[in-house]
Amino acid sequence: MEEKLLTITQAAEKLGVSVDTLRRWDNSGKLVAIKKDGGVHRFYREKDLEIFSSDIIQIAHDWAKDDFDLPSSFYCSNSAVFQARLTKLESLLMDQPDLAVLFSVIVAITGEIGNNSFDHNLGKWPDTPGIFFGYDINKRQIVLADRGLGVLTTLRQVRPTLQNHTEALDVAFNEILSGRAPEKRGNGLKFVREVTTTQPIELFFQSGDAEVRIKDPEKEFRLTRGQEILRGCFAVIKF
Amino acid sequence: MEIELKKFGTTLISRQAGTEAFRAFQPTLQEVEKDENLEIDFDGVLTFSPSWGDEFLSPLLEQFGDRLILKTSDNLSVQATLKTLTEVNKKPFKIED
Repeated sequence: MEEKLLTITQAAEKLGVSVDTLRRWDNSGKLVAIKKDGGVHRFYREKDLEIFSSDIIQIAHDWAKDDFDLPSSFYCSNSAVFQARLTKLESLLMDQPDLAVLFSVIVAITGEIGNNSFDHNLGKWPDTPGIFFGYDINKRQIVLADRGLGVLTTLRQVRPTLQNHTEALDVAFNEILSGRAPEKRGNGLKFVREVTTTQPIELFFQSGDAEVRIKDPEKEFRLTRGQEILRGCFAVIKF
Repeated sequence: MEIELKKFGTTLISRQAGTEAFRAFQPTLQEVEKDENLEIDFDGVLTFSPSWGDEFLSPLLEQFGDRLILKTSDNLSVQATLKTLTEVNKKPFKIED
């Protein structure tokens, strides 16, 4: 995996601070620079800067694509860890005066998306198990990602005729798969669509090269084919 | 018989947790009389999601039909989840004050 190294000037610009500040942070250990070949010049890995400035959308997306060691604060190795952290998010949201009513559906849809990752990939994780789960209360966003099988592969188990990721997301978000199948009936994404089209909550969801957007104010369910392919799933919830 | 759902937890979100709750509920369920109603109270529940709800409420709906009564709740996630479950089960819940 190629490591992109930035100079201290580039890093300062990216973080919106002065070069002096970065020197101080390096000395204090707040943000440690890399000194190549024991030299004097300071360099920074772009990933480290992203994590430092907590651009969680970028980190989650990059992890879903390329895999690297996630900071433990964002990584849920199993659903019990996810449950515990989601309960914490629930309290934080409940503390926001403007979210006193909305918090419950925000937590519910986050739970559905996160638990889908565990339910559908248990025992079948292609490489790193678990999910990325991060949130920024100030920015009013929640990000989830997994490196699992993705919606198409999962749905093909019950719907072998699905042709591509776009069709798969269409079924996942719009069709009720009920019936007496022994397989767990996965209807969480229908719920997510219903909530995000009726509440002031926006959704971006990607699996494979298919992307779903539900945005204010139109609240249309928009399903498009994007440029890149993610094997697993990636979701951003804004409220 | 009245059931306070909050006794199973206040953040009711995963299939596994819902299944576990349903299993734990079985002994109590045996005590419901032949023509008795089963009332579910959502008071105190903070988040209620369809994965949990499907594992707990759907089998109850099947078993009790009209005798399963859900008390109204002003919790948004309860309302939204019941709506989804109604579509999934193709059968409405009986909701009363």
